[in-house]
Amino acid sequence: MDVFLGSMPDVLATTIRMTVPLLFVALGELFSERAGLVNIGLDGLMTIGAFTGFVVGYQTGNLWLGVLCGAVAGIAVNLIYAFCTVSLRVDQTVTGMAINILAPGIATFAYKVIFGDGSTLVQGTTMDKLAIPGLSAIPFVGDILFNQTLLAYLAYIAVPLCWFYFARTRGGLNFRSVGENPQAAETLGIDAIKTKYLASIVCGALAGIGGAFLTLCYTSTYATGVVAGRGFIALAAVIFGRWSSVGILGATLLFGFFDAVQIALQVSAPTVPYQFFAMIPYVFTIVALFFFNAQKGGPKANGKPYFREER
Amino acid sequence: MKNVKKWLGLLMCSVLAVVCVVGLSACGGSGDSGSGDSGTEGAGSGKKVAMILDGPVNDGGWGASCYDAMVQAAKDHGWETAYTENIAQADWTTTMQDYVDQGYDLIIAPGNQYTASVEDCAKANPDAKFCIFNDQVDDYDNIECTMPDTVQIGQIAGIMAGLTSKTNNIGFIGAMELDTTLNKIKGYTDAAQKINPEIKVTTAYSNSFSDAAKGKELATTMINSNNVDVMFGDASIVDTGAREALKDAGAGHYDIGQPGDITDTDPELILVSVVTDNVKMTNQVMDDVESGSFGKKTIKGDLSNGGVYAGAVSDKIVDADTKAKFEEYVDQLKNGTF
Repeated sequence: MDVFLGSMPDVLATTIRMTVPLLFVALGELFSERAGLVNIGLDGLMTIGAFTGFVVGYQTGNLWLGVLCGAVAGIAVNLIYAFCTVSLRVDQTVTGMAINILAPGIATFAYKVIFGDGSTLVQGTTMDKLAIPGLSAIPFVGDILFNQTLLAYLAYIAVPLCWFYFARTRGGLNFRSVGENPQAAETLGIDAIKTKYLASIVCGALAGIGGAFLTLCYTSTYATGVVAGRGFIALAAVIFGRWSSVGILGATLLFGFFDAVQIALQVSAPTVPYQFFAMIPYVFTIVALFFFNAQKGGPKANGKPYFREER
Repeated sequence: MKNVKKWLGLLMCSVLAVVCVVGLSACGGSGDSGSGDSGTEGAGSGKKVAMILDGPVNDGGWGASCYDAMVQAAKDHGWETAYTENIAQADWTTTMQDYVDQGYDLIIAPGNQYTASVEDCAKANPDAKFCIFNDQVDDYDNIECTMPDTVQIGQIAGIMAGLTSKTNNIGFIGAMELDTTLNKIKGYTDAAQKINPEIKVTTAYSNSFSDAAKGKELATTMINSNNVDVMFGDASIVDTGAREALKDAGAGHYDIGQPGDITDTDPELILVSVVTDNVKMTNQVMDDVESGSFGKKTIKGDLSNGGVYAGAVSDKIVDADTKAKFEEYVDQLKNGTF
């Protein structure tokens, strides 16, 4: 236990880092679900964002351009999802799954086209960390919280912004009403279809950025599988976070924390089989979803196709 | 709207069909995006070899080394090559069957995770020939294996780690608890402790061959909590993340590369590479196919036959004295006197 307590600063630092990609993507999903679109294609969107971000960052040397292009790529792929589910009213689960299969396929194919059919792993650079003067000098927490990449700060800043938008603005209220009852929203002059498309654009952008964070800030390389199921964890975090941005922050921090604990325990308690530790984040996910039942609290029209002319 | 949908569906289907046809004729082989063919120059023997992989070929680790070995050996023999990457476990057998049906003379499965699937496929196709890397299966007429000495791989890395660690703490990251990984850990630990009895080894598993971010976190935690300064790994892309953590940790933190000779890619970080010469072993398998003596055997690779060897030692971070000692110990290992 002493060893474990001693590694606590590490655990917290790891938590903060591990949370960022999850947080971006989960916030994107929040927008999507608030407009009634359950998008399970997050993993695919992250993959395309991770790939595009890496390629653009590597080719141009401008990592922020990489982040931007990652977001654009996420939007482009998610518009396929939006077109299928909103305009064509195809089942959302099926379409999301299709995105999860399509996006990594595109990424792998494009990788071969760009970098050739070789076996070398292309390495780029990572974004520099930005220590906030003053704050980063606070003992214990300073280095953990205020010595991150700019993109990581943006993820955390996005949380109160999202909260403010949904809870305190008319636009946010209109947005939410589309997820609750699109028919009623439309009778009040809110364009539900437009809102759903807007939601998909925001979701695609945030998921793309979340993916790009992995290849531009975390590590400096792209390979098939770098996303490693984070999109699905983010999906669970939205339900666990009760469709609120603050709840999602808590949920993603907890997921990040258990992943960090898993890593710290493996290193400090080598006698216990590693499979036990590796299991922790996933057991936690199941337990969380079990106790935080999805029936209550979610947008009422979530996952349902909207027929404008249906009575 | 319904009509639009119908036409759109039809349009998309036809576009897809055209893309597939064009794609197929362009690659002249398999149609999915994760596979490719690369013909070799010259007339050659007209034989064809294919490899299946559950990960990407550009993983900077095992997959890359196996793929390169196939391409190199095929070049030496004048064979044509093909591969399919990122195959899910459920599709291993079907993919191999596809290659059998296309008349490939040799199908390589680079890892012992494929063994059960290969055995199934070999039973169903007694005329096709299969090769498994990293395993030992001796009772099939149409399966031949290559088996590098994984304990020795670990020992070579352990010697270097034992000689260079200043903090007496060295680390190892594996992807999964495979037999080959356990062997490497054993060799690594034994050799390092033989050279420096004070050495403590920290091991961890990433549960993935591709999650570079997790590799970076595992390595960072090892460095911060256990004061690890030299690391070795067996997890392909995850190793890349670990190397980035070692680099971020600053001077005095080093990595040992494998299975290709990657020392030159970062001579200020990588002390030495422990090379598994899959080319040599693959060449031998192809020789056997051509001479008709294929099957029912395992080609071993170790220091004595060059299947495993110590690659380039970085002059920038390893001084001449240490290098000489390292080479001496590796020689002892080769002669069995270590």
